Amino acid sequence: MERAQASVVSPIWWRTLPDRSDFVRDRLVPIFRYLRRNRLMIIGLSAFAALGLFVGISYLFYSQVDLLGEEQGVNGLVRAASVQANQRPSWNPWSGYPLGTDVQGRDIYAAVVVGIPLSLRIGVIAAAIGVGVGMVLAFVAAYVGGVVDAVIRTVVDSLIPIPGLLVLVLVATSLNPGQGLTVDQLAFVIAVLAWPGPARVIRSQVLVIRERGYVEMARMSGTSPLGIIFKEMMPNLAPYALASFVAATSGSILASIGVESLGLGPLDSPTLGSMIYWNIFTSSVLLGLWYWLLPPIIVLIVLFVGLFMISAGLDEVANPRLRRRV
Amino acid sequence: MPWNYILSRVAMFFVTIFIASTIVFFLPRISGQNPLEEKLLEEAARGGFLEDTDEMVAAFDEKYGFNDPLWEQYVKFMVDIVQFDLGRSIFNWPKTVNQLLAETIMWTLALGLLTLVFAFVIGSLMGAVLEWKRQKTFLMVLLSPVLTLSAVPYYLFGLVLLLAFSFVWSIFPLFGGYSRGIAGWPDWSNWSFIGNVLWHATLPALSVVLVSLGGWAMGMRGMMVTTKGEDYMLQAEAKGLPDRVMFLRYGIRNALLPQLTGLALQLGLIVSGLVLVEVVFSYPGVGGLLVQAIPRSDHAVIQGIVFVLALGTALATLILDLIYPLVDARIKYSQG
Repeated sequence: MERAQASVVSPIWWRTLPDRSDFVRDRLVPIFRYLRRNRLMIIGLSAFAALGLFVGISYLFYSQVDLLGEEQGVNGLVRAASVQANQRPSWNPWSGYPLGTDVQGRDIYAAVVVGIPLSLRIGVIAAAIGVGVGMVLAFVAAYVGGVVDAVIRTVVDSLIPIPGLLVLVLVATSLNPGQGLTVDQLAFVIAVLAWPGPARVIRSQVLVIRERGYVEMARMSGTSPLGIIFKEMMPNLAPYALASFVAATSGSILASIGVESLGLGPLDSPTLGSMIYWNIFTSSVLLGLWYWLLPPIIVLIVLFVGLFMISAGLDEVANPRLRRRV
Repeated sequence: MPWNYILSRVAMFFVTIFIASTIVFFLPRISGQNPLEEKLLEEAARGGFLEDTDEMVAAFDEKYGFNDPLWEQYVKFMVDIVQFDLGRSIFNWPKTVNQLLAETIMWTLALGLLTLVFAFVIGSLMGAVLEWKRQKTFLMVLLSPVLTLSAVPYYLFGLVLLLAFSFVWSIFPLFGGYSRGIAGWPDWSNWSFIGNVLWHATLPALSVVLVSLGGWAMGMRGMMVTTKGEDYMLQAEAKGLPDRVMFLRYGIRNALLPQLTGLALQLGLIVSGLVLVEVVFSYPGVGGLLVQAIPRSDHAVIQGIVFVLALGTALATLILDLIYPLVDARIKYSQG
């Protein structure tokens, strides 16, 4: 408490800013102050920033000369990632392909640059649907109670021991006769199993928060149930919702890579998972194509570790009791 | 242990199985795909020409009741499931799914149990020691790589291990569960065969164990923090008990129990991960079977694998849930 107050009175340059300065001073400054202490969050966010910079800069400046000798722009990047060039698999940074070319002669660098946003997109869409559905179910369960709560809880609890990936495999094989799912379809498929986790976590938090003093206060002063949910409870649930969103994103990307590694994803889009699949499919390890296998793995490791640290950092925000421990 | 606790757990188990088998029944029927047609098309492609494909498919559908109303098929499927009859594989005709599973599931089970036990014991011990000793440098050096690894999927790490230890340094084999082409193998009474199997299992097992160490270590460390603050620890210290006794009898013993809950929650994930590890290492378990069945839409096999693995994890979760209150007297039973 003392620290927070100290931050408000300390003279900083942005106090001189007009209008918005209240928002900056009361909201942003404490957040940055807090972030300075939350190492995990910083590391996770910077891992993400690094990936973002890598993709952004590559989109702006990386261009590849196509077979006709013409410079290609951003569209060329996507094409370079998915269309085979007249190239043998090789790795020679000075030949114009910084990470080499794969078995089908595609530019590996371009594939990684295009693949990162695609894989993230799958994760974010699936997690958004999952957390959204989970949250609605959590509120319904906690508020309606009784039989509805029991049914939701039983279904959620009994879905958790089912190996998710295998169900996704079943969904994916059933939905795509032959020609693979698109990136967005894969995201929806993964969302099918992304909700039980968030529903479980948020329901227990709703039950706790509902009994807090300020909610009681709002109830007694005649706030409508929806008003209580949106004005009183949602802001306090936000860290939990955010933490489960990040965890769900990580889980969904994990699931998508798993489904894709089995050859059930969008094989014509150069997502990171499809790269892994083609690596397994053509046994690139046996061929010695390490420069094809390593880039997607390294990017995925940075991605997963980053998401893991962000969600651990958010946990710390959500559970202040954890804060003082290492 | 009160009866309603046991009953609710067992009921939960049956709900899980019911949901799993319903999913397994309905999903493949959304696609409208016919595995037999695929098989016949493949045969036709291989042999050049195949007469009367449509009639053959129709006859098959008639014989196995695929023309019956959906609910009738569903009831029949459920009756079969209860009797553990998972149907026949189209592509390995006339083998039943049960036979195929029998050939492969022991490999998966053995690998899974082995890695689970190793990761659980080593990880928990590591977490406990870390909290007990409380040396900062030791902690950072050991924990940070392990924790970083814990965010990585098993099979991606497996690919890296494969690349490093099999391709660059040829220490371990590149694929398979044992060396092929040796007369008389597989022969489980032969020690050199067993050695060969273990040698092949090392990398797959390592990729699971090293990745999952971090989770157990962190969980154990958290529990150890709480345990160290308990009154009985203070009393033990006041009595002048040796450090070793305090660590083993007072610390680990109490901190270990909640780890079992983590085990129950993790099982589903571990099984999913293991299937992919088997794919990466071409291990002869159910993962390999699954990869064969997917491109041929051999629904019976895919269904069978999903059902059996769901059954296995649900059963393991049930057993853990039932054992847990017996081991940990502090638990108060509640229905939930």
